[in-house]
Amino acid sequence: MKLIEFVKGKMLYLFLLVIITATIIIFLLPYNVDLVIMIYIALLPIIIYILCCIAEYIKKKSYYDLLENNLNKLEEKYLLCEIIPDANFIEGRILKETLQQTNKSMIENVNKYKFAVEDYKDYIEMWIHEIKIPLATSKLIIENNKNEVTKSIDEEISKIEDYIEQVLFYARSNAVEKDYIISKSSLKEIVNSAVIRNKESVIYNNIKLILHDLDKEVYTDSKWCIFILNQIIQNSIKYSDKDNKKIEISATESKNNISLTIKDNGIGISKKDLSRVFEKGFTGTNGRLIGRKSTGIGLYLCKKLCDKLDLGIQIDSKENEGTIVMLTFPINSFNKLV
Amino acid sequence: MSKILIIEDDIKLRKELKIFLEKNGYEVIYIEEFCDPVKESLEVNADLILLDINLPNIDGEYILREIRKLSNVPIIMITSKDNELDELMSLNYGADQYVTKPFNLQILLAKIAGLLKRSKITDTNQNKIDCKDFILNMSKSLIEKDDKQIELTKNELKILYFLVSKRGQIVSREDIINYLWDSESFIDDNTLTVNMKRLRTKLQEINMEDIIETRRGQGYILK
Repeated sequence: MKLIEFVKGKMLYLFLLVIITATIIIFLLPYNVDLVIMIYIALLPIIIYILCCIAEYIKKKSYYDLLENNLNKLEEKYLLCEIIPDANFIEGRILKETLQQTNKSMIENVNKYKFAVEDYKDYIEMWIHEIKIPLATSKLIIENNKNEVTKSIDEEISKIEDYIEQVLFYARSNAVEKDYIISKSSLKEIVNSAVIRNKESVIYNNIKLILHDLDKEVYTDSKWCIFILNQIIQNSIKYSDKDNKKIEISATESKNNISLTIKDNGIGISKKDLSRVFEKGFTGTNGRLIGRKSTGIGLYLCKKLCDKLDLGIQIDSKENEGTIVMLTFPINSFNKLV
Repeated sequence: MSKILIIEDDIKLRKELKIFLEKNGYEVIYIEEFCDPVKESLEVNADLILLDINLPNIDGEYILREIRKLSNVPIIMITSKDNELDELMSLNYGADQYVTKPFNLQILLAKIAGLLKRSKITDTNQNKIDCKDFILNMSKSLIEKDDKQIELTKNELKILYFLVSKRGQIVSREDIINYLWDSESFIDDNTLTVNMKRLRTKLQEINMEDIIETRRGQGYILK
C-alpha cells in the first residue's frame, strides 16, 4: 500500500473539512471572536482528522503489506485466503469473506472439470484395453494364415497399434495424478524393447543399427521410457534418406546423470523449425514432405512425458546431415522412490 | 510334447492362440467353463499356463494366487493392461512372465520356450546339439567335429542354430534377420552377408563349406 495513493483517497474529505471550517470561521467573523479561538476552531478538526488518517494508514498498511507479501511468496495463488490473517477493520473482513467464497466456488468448478478429465481418461484407458483384444486376435489370425495379403494387413495393424499407444500416453500425460512407477531398470532392455518394435521398418528400410555402451541401470518407468524412445526411433526411420542409413544409440555416464543419445543420419531439421519441434501440432517443413505424414504429436508427447518423469530431452540437428536426440536420466532419481 | 493350458475368456482369441501354439509344436488345451478354473487347471497337469487377468466372474490374479498355493507350474500372465503396477502385482503374486496384448508372437514363443526349458530338469547334454556331421555346442559357442573345435561368434552361432533347426528347408535372408532380431541381435543385410561369409570360412576348416547351399533369390538351405 503506497502512502500517496492512500493520501489521494483522503484528499476529498480533507478538502470538504477545510471548506466547512472556513465557512464556520466566516460565519464567526462578525461576532468578533478572539483570533486564538478562531485558529483553534479551524485547526482542531483538521489535526484530529489527520491523526485518525495516520492511525488508519498504519493499521491498513500492515495488513495489506502482509497480504501482498504472502501473495508474492505463494506459488499457488488461489491458496491465499487460507493464510490471510483476520482483519480488525471492516474492509479486510469483507475482503477475506469474498475471497473465501469465490475460492470455494472456483474449487468446485475446477473439481467438476478435474473429475470430467479423470473420467474421460479412465474411459480411454478402458477402451484401449478393450480394443487390444480384437487386435491381438487379428495378429494371431494373420500369423496362422500367413500370405502376402495378411502380411500387408499386419503392417496396417501395426500402424493402428502405434496410434492407439499414442492415445493411451496422451491420456496419461494429461492425468493429474501420478500413474507411473519409478524403478530400477536396465537401459539395455529399454532400448532393445523399443528397437524390436521397429523391426519391420528397420529391416525394410535397410537401416544399420549401432548400439553400444548400454549396460547401465537407470531409475525410471520403463514402459513410459520405451514409448518415448519408440517415438524417437520412429522419427529417425521416417526421416531417413541416405543410401547408408544409420541409427546409433549409445549412453554416456557422468557424475550426475546418464545420457542416452539417439543419432541418425537422416534429413535433419532446419534451424528455424528446431526450436519448435516440441510444440503440439507443429509439423514443420519435414512434416509436410510427401509420404512423411506428421501429426505433430510424437515429440510433443515425448517432452510432456519426460517432464513428468523428470528426464531431460534435447534435440539437435543439422539439415541434410542428421538429428541427435539426447535423453538425460538423473542418477539421484531413486530418491523419488520414497 | 509340452502341454500348455490357456485360461482366456475371449473365444476367438483362445482358438487362434491354440492354432498358433499347436503349429509351433505344443499340445494345447483351454478352459471353457469358468466355474472352478483353479481346480480344472490343476487337474489337467499342464507344463505351462497362459493366464488372462480379466476373466468373467473371477479375477485372474486370484486364480494365480490359488494355483501358486498348490503348484509351481510356470505361469505367463496375458493382459491388455499395459502398466508397471499391474505387472509388478502379477509378478509379486508369483507369475513367471507378463505379456501384454497384442503380443509380439515371437517373443511369446521365446518366453514359453525359456520357461519350459528352465522348469524341466536340465539334461547335461542338452546344450550340445548333434547335427549328424558335427556337434553344435550351444553353451560354449563351438562347432565340434572329431577332435576339432571351432569357435563361433554370437551371431554365427545363432545363424547356424537357426539353419540347423530348419534343416532341409529353404530359409530366406529375411527369416534369418527376423530370427536374429527376436533374439536381440539387431543386424542389417550387409552384416548378415559378412556373417554368412565368415561362417562358411569357419566351416571350411572342417571341410564342410558345402553344407550351406545358397539358393539364388530364395535364401539358404542346410543340407
